[in-house]
Formats: sequence, structure tokens, C-alpha cells
Amino acid sequence: MESPTTMNCREAVRRLDDYLDRELGREELVQVQAHLECCTHCAGVYALEAGALAELKSKLRRISAPADLLSRILARLEREPGRPSGTA
Amino acid sequence: MAAAEGADTAPPFETTLAGVLDGAYATAYRLTGNPADAEDLVQDAALLAFRGYPGFRAGSNFRAWFYRILLNRFYSDYRRRRRRGVTVGLEGFPEAHLHERAEAHGLGGGQDVVGRMVAELDATTIGEALDALPDGFREVAVLYFQQDLPYQEIAEMLEIPIGTVRSRLHRARGLLQRQLWNLAVERGIVPAGGGA
Repeated sequence: MESPTTMNCREAVRRLDDYLDRELGREELVQVQAHLECCTHCAGVYALEAGALAELKSKLRRISAPADLLSRILARLEREPGRPSGTA
Repeated sequence: MAAAEGADTAPPFETTLAGVLDGAYATAYRLTGNPADAEDLVQDAALLAFRGYPGFRAGSNFRAWFYRILLNRFYSDYRRRRRRGVTVGLEGFPEAHLHERAEAHGLGGGQDVVGRMVAELDATTIGEALDALPDGFREVAVLYFQQDLPYQEIAEMLEIPIGTVRSRLHRARGLLQRQLWNLAVERGIVPAGGGA
């Protein structure tokens, strides 16, 4: 499924990870973008990968530190010898 | 009235620490595999960071600095304690993306299938698949998937070149997708074999 842009499907899909992560240089970014705008197949691939990635990241991010962890750390730092005054 | 804090004066340690604590704990939890070790690791890192804070350059990236301390502490003391399950091998590294996997199974464009797969696998299962990545790949993947950090910052934290981050992450994605796909097949979320 070739597109009229300078980047073909294979090249576009190979750069998809970096495109999703906004890690492409300006020139490649524009090329991938142009390809996705005119290739429905690759646009579908992009949508799928982007959706899956967002869902994975969202699920993995649901871990918070225990509510009292900061206060326990600060209490431990209070016992630190030579603690500079006015800190922690 | 006290003099205003200069531009090159670091804010109080507790303020900067509070801003990175959730992410640091989540990373520690994923690396150590249990909440008790995760808390200890974060506390150890906080203590080391506190001692080094007078030398911390104001305006530089505290998160990258703190994570570097945490990761070094993990490598030096906690990693060997870790009881790990089966680690996936790098052999037969899958290049295919999820859509290719879905298409190879005769599942059309695969968008609905993949969407359902990711939606139905719970966070614990996804976390375990992340845990099963080989050393070196797991750390990059944890910082990327869980902390959503840019490649450059991951490179700073792990003290490796950005190109290494990119290549490890690329392989980690493939391995993780293969793991998740296999789990989804095992659980009947995705049909096994070819044909829809």
C-alpha cells in the first residue's frame, strides 16, 4: 500500500514507535505525518498502536506511594546527624 | 524580611522530594517486586539524596538525579534479593507490532481485538509481563511505560546513550507485546491460531 508521499508504508511503520513518542526529528516527523494523512491502512495501525500504548501506560501508572511515606522519610531525615538547619 | 531565594538556590529538599515520590515509589515497586522493599529502597535513596543535596545544582533535573540514586541503590543492594519469575528470552525477538499479530491471526485490522485485549488484561498481569523482561530492558521499559519519560531523561537516569534507550525500548515493546498476546490467547481473550 504505497502512498504518494516520499515515505512508504514499511518505512512509516518502522518509525511509528518514535513517532508515537515524539522522538523523531523534524524532517522524519513531517514525512510520517504526511504518510498517515493519506494512507488509511497506516493511519489505522497508528490508531491501534497509540490506543494500546495509552491504555498500557495508564494501567501501569496506577501505583501511588503510601500516604505516610513522605512523613516517614522526613522523620528519618530528622535523625540525620549534621542536618543543616531549616531543611526537611 | 528574609532575602528572596536566588535563582540558583535549590528549593527545600522535602519540596522537591514530594514532587517525585509517587513516581519513584512506583518504579521501586516495579523493580523490587514488593511494597516493603519498594518503601525501603525509596527511603534509602531519599537519605542518600538528602546527604548529597547540598551539592545538587539548582535548576538541574532533580527527578533524573534522584532516580539515578535510586537505580544505583537498586543495582547495588536490592536486585540480588529480588525473587523473579520466568524471564523471557531475547531469542526469536518479535519484530511484529500488535496489528501484524492480529492480522496474522486473520483478525482483520485488529483494532477491536487489540483494544479488547489491552482492556481485559489487568494492571497486575501487565506489570508481571513487564517484570519478565530481561535485565537492562526491564529498567528502560519501566521508566518508559510506567513513568512516561522521554528517551533523553531515561538515558540520563540509566547513564546510557540515548540510542541504547531507543533500541532497548524497541525490543522491550516487541517482547512485551508478544507476552501480552500470548497471555490473551491463554485466557481466551484472543482466539488461538489463525482464522477469526
